[in-house]
Amino acid sequence: MIKATNVTKKYGGLKALDDFSVDIPEGKIGVLGPNGAGKSTFVKIALGLLTATSGEVTVLGEKLTKNTTHIRKRIGYMPEHDCVPDEMTGVEFLIEMGMVSGMSLAGATERTHEILGHLRMGEEKYRLIGEYSGGMRQKVKLAQGLIHAPELIFLDEPTSGLDPNARREMLETINGLTEVSNTKVLLSTHILQDVEMVCDTVIIVKDGKLQMHENVERIIGEKSNFIQVRVGGPVEDFVNELKKKKITADDDGRVIIVPYKDDSTYNQIIDATVKSNCLLYEMERTTQSMDSVYQEIIE
Amino acid sequence: MKKKAQVSDRFRDFNANLTTRPWIVWGMGLRRFEKFFSTKNKIIMGLILIIYLWTLAFDVMLASGSENYPCVLRDNGDFFEEDGPLMVEFKDCGPLTYYGDLFTGGGIRILIVSLAAIASGGMIGNDMANKSLHLYLSRPISRIDYLIARFIPVFLLLLLVTAVPNLIVASAMWSDDGLKTEWLTNHKWLIVNILIQGIFYSAAYSIIGLTFSTILKKESNASLAFFLFVYGTSIIAELFFTILKAFGIDGADGVLLISVSHILDMISYAIFDVEYYVQAGFAPWKVDIGGTEVGVVFTFIFAGCCGFMYWMILQMEANK
Repeated sequence: MIKATNVTKKYGGLKALDDFSVDIPEGKIGVLGPNGAGKSTFVKIALGLLTATSGEVTVLGEKLTKNTTHIRKRIGYMPEHDCVPDEMTGVEFLIEMGMVSGMSLAGATERTHEILGHLRMGEEKYRLIGEYSGGMRQKVKLAQGLIHAPELIFLDEPTSGLDPNARREMLETINGLTEVSNTKVLLSTHILQDVEMVCDTVIIVKDGKLQMHENVERIIGEKSNFIQVRVGGPVEDFVNELKKKKITADDDGRVIIVPYKDDSTYNQIIDATVKSNCLLYEMERTTQSMDSVYQEIIE
Repeated sequence: MKKKAQVSDRFRDFNANLTTRPWIVWGMGLRRFEKFFSTKNKIIMGLILIIYLWTLAFDVMLASGSENYPCVLRDNGDFFEEDGPLMVEFKDCGPLTYYGDLFTGGGIRILIVSLAAIASGGMIGNDMANKSLHLYLSRPISRIDYLIARFIPVFLLLLLVTAVPNLIVASAMWSDDGLKTEWLTNHKWLIVNILIQGIFYSAAYSIIGLTFSTILKKESNASLAFFLFVYGTSIIAELFFTILKAFGIDGADGVLLISVSHILDMISYAIFDVEYYVQAGFAPWKVDIGGTEVGVVFTFIFAGCCGFMYWMILQMEANK
């Protein structure tokens, strides 16, 4: 879907992207990283708004040259910041954006009402955007990115500034609308839960460099599935008993983390507790959020 | 369920049939032009109405049947002794007077400048202030396309109060002459000059107006700054010009190059092949500046304006 080869972007002496290379497959992709990691720069280069200082970028099979405008017919963009004009109604704004994308008035009008219908905007679509809530403004911002039926949409921090309910609703809307329109997604965010909820692949960026490129389910499955155990007594003996069963447990001083393979792991833990003369206080299967995986990579 | 699936399929398989860049740009421009005539823009509509009423009253009805259209040779012998040092004979052309000041020549420059200031004030500034500029630039248009799309509506609006009224006056004169084909053949130069002059003034005021809109971002501030820039520099230039002329200091003519309106007038007079005079004190003084000098200053100002607007947009994009 997007291929970047040795991309560097400098702003004066500052390197926003530093020899950045990635081959992003089709689907819903999350670009994750702390603020200032280079996510937005990467999105803007892929959108043809910025030109890389060096390196090459290919989007949807098209090589981006300087200020490529043609590719934007196939791409939608939802910027991070609030950028919708207060003095227009939702309908007026979307029709204008459709026409600025190259649609006819009839086509833009039809599509506007369809999208706003999917977004459950109701009669509010005829109200001035200045009167909209934060969540509704975000919806309109999302809708303008999808108005011209792009193959791929870039979402830059789509949940920024939303309360938890509005955030969840926004993510559900993104999931629903992009699925129904069969649009590929590139989601740039610093919020891990957004990626978990929307994306199937994640790339993690830090200091302008690619840190990780992995399938989201695999990360959660392989790195985050474990049993949390609390025991009383000779903890070292307990850990050694587990070792004999070829289970590597990690004692962090408070709890013992035992990787979950299947349900037989529970019996092996109980057996090890008995053999090491420990008291089993707690045994709970839990999934580590992607948060700790992310922290591990970032730190 | 079946119905729902059909709606989704239609949504998914939607074909946007996107048009090409030139049509997008024209469309953007024309839609904004159309907006000037909405009921929300009462001041703009009011100014246009005043300009047309003025033109009809003073240039069509009162001037109807006069012998001095389009140009007549005049002198200022009413004020100065014949053959005295300040006595000048000059060509007076209706289409040139139209762009003059109300008090000096009965022109309507102040109305045109006001209209340009109001129309261009929020054209780019509003997009920058509410950041919708990013949305426009994420579409299949370049930055230059965007600037052209914002230039078109102001330019067309100004054409409506520059070239069009003058063409109406010319048509009235033609009508007075009995709509003879000969009049048209003899005045082909006039039609061409009116058009060139109108395009020139409209384009120049549009570009300066858009530049102020880009710099100041706030509509009212940009409009006011544009107005003060055009009139302020003109007043300053004329003040210095008068002082230098009064003391007989050389180089007084060059001072006029700091005024955009004087530069535009010099070019406009050149289009009609008329010598340019500026009123200093009570006398008109012939301005003797080479075409190259005027051309260089003009190019510098307008290339600078265009370059600056492009750079501002580029900066905004890179920063956010």
